[in-house]
Amino acid sequence: MKLGLVIDLDTCVGCHACAVACKQWNTSGTTGPLSDYEPYGKEPSGVWFNRIRHFEVDEYPNNKTINTPMSCMHCEDAACVTVCPTGASYKREEDGIVLVDQSKCMGCNLCSWACPYGARELDEEEGVMKKCTLCVDRIHDQSLPEAERQPACVMTCPSHARHFGDFDDPDSRVSTLVRERGGYSMMPELGYEPTNKYLPPRQRPAAPTVERKAASSGESLIGKWMKRQKDAFNNLGKGAR
Amino acid sequence: MHPALSVIFFTVTAGAGYGCLILLGLLRLLDLAPDTSPDQIVAMGLIGLVLVTAGLLSSTLHLANPKNAWRAFTRFRTSWLSREAVFAVAFYPVALLWLACEWFTGNTAATVFFGVLMALLAVVVLVCTGMIYATLKTIRQWHTALTPVNFVLLGLFLGTLIVSVMLAQQGLVIDLVARLALVVLVIAALVKLIYFYWIGQPAGPTINTALGFTRATVRLLDVGHASDTFHNKEFGYQVDRVRLLWLRAVSIALAFVLPLLLVSGLLGEVSFGLLLLAVISAYAGVFVERWLFFAEARHVVNLYHGMQRT
Amino acid sequence: MSVLPEFENHDEQTVKMTTCYMCACRCGIKVTMEGEEIRFIQGNPDHPVNKGVLCAKGNAGIMKQKSPAKLTQPLVRKAGTERGDGEFEPISWDKALGLLTERLRKIRSTDPKRLAFFTGRDQMQALTGFWASQFGTINWAAHGGFCSVNMAAGGLYMTGQSFWEFGDPDWDHAKYFMLWGVAEDHASNPIKIGLEKLKRRGAKFVAINPVRTGYQAIADEWVGIRPGTDGLLALSFAHVLLKNEQFDWDFLSRYTNATQLIIDAPGTSQHGLLLRDEEGELQVWNQTDDSVASWTSSSHDNDVHAALFGEYTTAEGVRVKTVMTQLAEKYLSEDYAPEKVAATVGIDSETIERLALEMAHVAFQETITIDTPWTDWTGRRHEKFIGRPVAMHAMRGISAHSNGFQTCRAIHLLQVLLGAVDCPGSHLAKPPFPKHIAPPIKPARAMAPDTPLSSPPLGFPMGPEDLVVDANGEPLRIDKAYSWEAPIANHGMMHMVINNAVKGDPYPIDTLILFMANMSWNSSMNTAEVQDMLREKDEYGDYKLPFIVTSDAFHSEMVNFSDLVLPDTTYLERFDTISMLDRPISEPHAACDSIRQPIIEPDRDVRPWQEVLIDIGSRLEFPALTNPDGTAKYKDYKTFITQWEKSPGIGFLAGWRGENGEKSMVGEPNPDQWQAYQDNGCFFEHHLPPEQRYYRFANKDYLEWSKSVGFNGHSGPIVMELYSEVLQKFRLAGQGLYDGPQPVHEEDKARLVQYFDPLPDWYVPLEEQRVDNDQYPFHAVNQRPMFMYHSWDSQNAWLRQIMAQNYLYMNRQRGLSLGIEDLAWVWVESHHGKIRCQVKLMEGCNPDTLWTWNAIGKQSGAWGLSDDAPESQKGFLMNHLISELLPARDGERGLTNSDPVTGQAAWYDLKVNIYPAAPGETGSYPTFDSVKRLPDMVTAPEVLRYHTHEPVVLERSLQDALNRGHLSSGDKR
Ligand SMILES: Nc1nc2c(c(=O)[nH]1)N[C@H]1C(S)=C(S)[C@@H](COP(=O)(O)OP(=O)(O)OC[C@H]3O[C@@H](n4cnc5c(=O)[nH]c(N)nc54)[C@H](O)[C@@H]3O)O[C@H]1N2
Ligand SMILES: Nc1nc2c(c(=O)[nH]1)N[C@H]1C(S)=C(S)[C@@H](COP(=O)(O)OP(=O)(O)OC[C@H]3O[C@@H](n4cnc5c(=O)[nH]c(N)nc54)[C@H](O)[C@@H]3O)O[C@H]1N2
Ligand code: SF4
Ligand code: SF4
Ligand code: SF4
Ligand code: SF4
Ligand code: SF4
Ligand SMILES: [Mo]
Repeated sequence: MKLGLVIDLDTCVGCHACAVACKQWNTSGTTGPLSDYEPYGKEPSGVWFNRIRHFEVDEYPNNKTINTPMSCMHCEDAACVTVCPTGASYKREEDGIVLVDQSKCMGCNLCSWACPYGARELDEEEGVMKKCTLCVDRIHDQSLPEAERQPACVMTCPSHARHFGDFDDPDSRVSTLVRERGGYSMMPELGYEPTNKYLPPRQRPAAPTVERKAASSGESLIGKWMKRQKDAFNNLGKGAR
Repeated sequence: MHPALSVIFFTVTAGAGYGCLILLGLLRLLDLAPDTSPDQIVAMGLIGLVLVTAGLLSSTLHLANPKNAWRAFTRFRTSWLSREAVFAVAFYPVALLWLACEWFTGNTAATVFFGVLMALLAVVVLVCTGMIYATLKTIRQWHTALTPVNFVLLGLFLGTLIVSVMLAQQGLVIDLVARLALVVLVIAALVKLIYFYWIGQPAGPTINTALGFTRATVRLLDVGHASDTFHNKEFGYQVDRVRLLWLRAVSIALAFVLPLLLVSGLLGEVSFGLLLLAVISAYAGVFVERWLFFAEARHVVNLYHGMQRT
Repeated sequence: MSVLPEFENHDEQTVKMTTCYMCACRCGIKVTMEGEEIRFIQGNPDHPVNKGVLCAKGNAGIMKQKSPAKLTQPLVRKAGTERGDGEFEPISWDKALGLLTERLRKIRSTDPKRLAFFTGRDQMQALTGFWASQFGTINWAAHGGFCSVNMAAGGLYMTGQSFWEFGDPDWDHAKYFMLWGVAEDHASNPIKIGLEKLKRRGAKFVAINPVRTGYQAIADEWVGIRPGTDGLLALSFAHVLLKNEQFDWDFLSRYTNATQLIIDAPGTSQHGLLLRDEEGELQVWNQTDDSVASWTSSSHDNDVHAALFGEYTTAEGVRVKTVMTQLAEKYLSEDYAPEKVAATVGIDSETIERLALEMAHVAFQETITIDTPWTDWTGRRHEKFIGRPVAMHAMRGISAHSNGFQTCRAIHLLQVLLGAVDCPGSHLAKPPFPKHIAPPIKPARAMAPDTPLSSPPLGFPMGPEDLVVDANGEPLRIDKAYSWEAPIANHGMMHMVINNAVKGDPYPIDTLILFMANMSWNSSMNTAEVQDMLREKDEYGDYKLPFIVTSDAFHSEMVNFSDLVLPDTTYLERFDTISMLDRPISEPHAACDSIRQPIIEPDRDVRPWQEVLIDIGSRLEFPALTNPDGTAKYKDYKTFITQWEKSPGIGFLAGWRGENGEKSMVGEPNPDQWQAYQDNGCFFEHHLPPEQRYYRFANKDYLEWSKSVGFNGHSGPIVMELYSEVLQKFRLAGQGLYDGPQPVHEEDKARLVQYFDPLPDWYVPLEEQRVDNDQYPFHAVNQRPMFMYHSWDSQNAWLRQIMAQNYLYMNRQRGLSLGIEDLAWVWVESHHGKIRCQVKLMEGCNPDTLWTWNAIGKQSGAWGLSDDAPESQKGFLMNHLISELLPARDGERGLTNSDPVTGQAAWYDLKVNIYPAAPGETGSYPTFDSVKRLPDMVTAPEVLRYHTHEPVVLERSLQDALNRGHLSSGDKR
């Protein structure tokens, strides 16, 4: 199995729902709590596994706004794992999820240096590295109803821009979406082979219009319509309405 | 990258220590300082070990959870940091054996054997340290063979200088060592200059590849968080260009130019005093160099925080 | 797969459903509790509103519950301290309610209007309105007047359905969707769910908005309009449609008043009114015999063929013209030609024309059908529903302008021309809408001591005689709603209350009760001066606004200005109803309502406002709450909700009525109704049968059903009023021609003549008309951030990590041309005031527009935040620049900065100038003294580590760590 996410940039409105859902699920999850510093103070910040950034492509008036949620890509060639000296970081053999074993991490930050996608955040209170678990404690929790065995971020996304599934299964929804919509990886040149894929904005063909009528003056149009009304009435005859 | 002082101190000081020990380990084999007595060598060796140890201890300071530091030995198979840790620890018994041989037997085959082994291990440790950085594809300023080469050369350079100053302090002949120091200095300086040239070339991921929109300008509109996060603090470090150039000049002047003048005898006869000055200058210069090594490194994650290219 | 540990002990968890209240979208939530702590809040997948999804706010409910800003006990202003100084003393509930009741009793038995009761963006207007009626004061309203009454009024007076919360685009069938001025809206989750559906189906999504963020980010086409000009754009679309003969002839003839006859008798009281016969029946021109006939007969009688076009003279010699003729004459005028309007709206004429022709193509050449037979109101059977799949939605970008009412009508006009109203693929009404035009409720005018009002305080005037004015034509309501200044102010004018009350204009009041409204901060225009007004005293040293009571759950800026603070529970701590008598959560094809139930026991001395209202009402012996023997009729809120009936069989909750819960919509009270809701996930849903789902304005089955359940008074058709006779009556009054009440003030007359066009119209927004536009060249508007609700989410530790400072955004090129760099501090000036704030340059912004996120700026010290929080030091409110009065003109009284028809606050009319601040001038301006902490408030922690149980770490075995080698793609598994 190769589990991961597909994120649809065509429908992501940048609402941050997935980021907050992630926060609330995981703060009591396998890598919780996710500390918050100065929560009511001058520089509020904290540990998040999923962050939404907003970009603009091209310039006014051809600009397009793109919202990019980013969490761990569960890379196939996950340098964050290979650099980890303690073995705390690992990629699960059975499903490809990249995890940090909180009990083993020494907080050296090297894995975060190795990650191109900013997916790892050190919990300064605990001194250990944390990251998206792909909600391993939801997707594999057999006591949850089957429909809920999904990452918190996927379940919550109001614009259904997030999809979860097995990329090894060519018929899975995620595989199909990537195939049909030209799913791509961010920063492929680094060779991490991220599992998560992004769907580019759809390119709509130009919408058809009705044929433009030659200009005629207002008055004559109303006259024309009155004539049409009269003709229609005459043609209909009585009772044929 | 945020230049953490503990890490800078570690790499510079331990590097210097390893440099010392490389030279000391090879001293007998190459007969670089023929009239040195075992106790003098042992004394110098101990100083080298102190440097190494101080560096290593400092390196643990930047660990957020040092109680798990011992686990760093477990991922020898993939992690250069783990390898560094393993070799750094493996280095100690060999270094101690070498010291013991030197102390008890003087210049014997065993001493030479362990000396060479120790030197090799020291090089390996330095290479490992360099590789920790060199393997990071995320930081193109580090992702180059120049990185480990630079780590080895600068360690060796500082080490050679330190050994020569120690020899001079004891009134021993330093000609060969000093000349060696000059050779290493020149090579190290060249490598560094090549490095500066190389990182000046545009290359590496840009905001366009980072997002997959390659046909037009891409600008960050909103970063999506109110205050600096772990990533901004760890990777967001930025130095003003002009300051960078100044610091580069300072670093080269202190690390290479001044020591070159001092050691080559251009500023007067090479003496303990001048050599000490050279060591201090070189150490300071390499310290700045190492600071720059971090400060000039631009992690790709910055692309997602507003940087246009790495 | 390796054996996984048990991640959490589900046996120790309890799961309960309730309704989210992190905003007014009212999604169903499923809350998992571990002991007293919330483990997880997720969407209820069965819920009609959100279908399982949740927004960022909803996901942050835990941190609302954990907020250090929660009020903990009733408070009174400390004797001898000044209002606004923030010195409070705890008081017991008993004393607090005793004190308040005594005060209210006195008011009620003397002059009930001296109590003003206003509520913010709440969701229980049915209850608060009921309470005010029982009290007997007409001075009640909710947020609608400063929110979006333009949308409600615009729709309800034209099509009988409206945007806002009262309808939805047909996400499942629309092929073309045009979104006007919406950043987030109340249907936060439904819109997002819907946009994805649309895009998946390949429909085209056009966003008309000066700013490209959020929804507009994913639009297929972004139309970066200049603010305040949408009406002109819509009418230009109408021009193109007419010019190209693209309108739905049948639809117009059958379902609208397009065939009705306008009397052409200039200078008389009849001019512009619709022709009626003696019985009052509206008339059409019958082509069969070239004479008038009733509109009703034209739809029933096969012998009556109404003309859509034409000017005629009746047998009595009255000159008439069909509505459609007048309409076509107006919009065919070259004034509305794309080339003419392009410069004003900021969009090139080719684009305008193309968009109109695209819509026409979808409406008329991509028509869809749903093969469900249905019967129209005349009894005629149709084999299928014909759909013109063009849908639209519009909100505050339209409504928050002083021309918003007419603009909204212009957008509805487009829909009607396209035949795209309540048909498959178009904009669909949500029950209880559509309603007859206008809903037959007149605003209350008469008051008497100790007597309930005989009609609700708010209603729908049908002409000048329905105004709430005295014999001299002066306003009777404290907010001057339904006066000549704002005749169709259907939702009141909350934004004027403090101003008017302090000035004693039209009269002083005694007590102001505010529920869920932050009127000393982000919900008032002219915030700084409003704070001064709240402190203002008369010559005897008494406050001009004597007594302010606030019901809030948190330490808001308004709490700081109160005399009595009644602390509410959080949404997870109380019972609540989201009623069909109110702003229901219905879906287009289902009538729905819902409840909240407590999930958590309050740990503070707080009470639900619902309970408090019933309690005070019982103490005051409101007739509806009191037994003949004077005892309280309902022991608590829950009993009140199940027992009270508005009319027989109809109460707050429509589900599980009847003694055993066997009836829906109508039925006797059911004592176990709450339990039935709890058992059903806290919501009720009545699905409309397929034949009732479309064309409901003319759908016999639907109309009959809607009457039977009390939605509509009769089952006759809802005839869309393209031409509004109601508006014409007001215009006649302005011209001095009306047979009935007429205004006395010149400014009122002029406004009635100018702005009450019976056909949708566009005019330059009022502030723009009055300021020097060279001096103030920019428009300044707001947007809702998707992850915060007005002022109340900065206290949320998670949400404020997303944003704690708002910037002022502007077009990059335009900014640079003015020497304004990214992140520069700037001054922004309006005719009324100035602020300093920090700029961000962006591409997706109309060059004449500045904008910011709404309500991020906070007063220092409020909301449980530290005094140096960025919200107060760098964040800012645009409200300081907005005046509640229009720029003055000689010889005029101060006129409200609102839509002249509906009294809707014109927040987005603001015109400003911008220039860089001097070097070193940083930080937001104006600044305010820090609000003092309340007694007993918890201190905010330095670090938060919220969790409900120790983490079950997924450990990696040492053996695995030692053994497993490289993880390159080559050796996975
Ligand atoms: N997350 C969140 N949701 C909310 C709220 C909240 O505070 N937060 N508030 C709720 C409330 S009370 C309301 S009333 C609704 C309001 O919901 P919206 O109608 O979405 O209100 P705004 O965010 O004010 O968005 C107005 C939009 O109109 C644009 N605009 C401004 N002027 C013009 C104009 O002249 N023409 C056009 N075409 N566009 C213009 C702005 O750029 C902005 O995108 O949201 C509700 N939902
Ligand atoms: N500049 C500018 N100003 C605007 C707008 C704009 O677009 N631009 N938008 C306007 C619009 S559309 C609206 S609707 C208004 C909104 O104005 P308000 O309805 O006043 O909105 P809030 O600021 O959220 O204030 C609501 C108050 O309710 C309190 N509250 C929250 N939960 C509870 C509860 O459970 N019980 C009780 N009793 N109180 C609670 C909060 O603490 C807060 O003090 O703002 C208006 N102001
Ligand atoms: S929840 Fe969905 S729409 Fe919202 S930011 Fe996340 S991915 Fe985008
Ligand atoms: S995204 Fe980063 S943390 Fe996740 S697997 Fe890839 S490299 Fe590792
Ligand atoms: S921080 Fe922890 S997980 Fe990351 S590399 Fe260091 S030990 Fe491994
Ligand atoms: S999969 Fe789970 S952990 Fe990962 S981003 Fe989504 S919610 Fe967060
Ligand atoms: S939109 Fe969000 S905050 Fe509003 S009710 Fe729904 S989940 Fe709650
Ligand atoms: Mo609103």
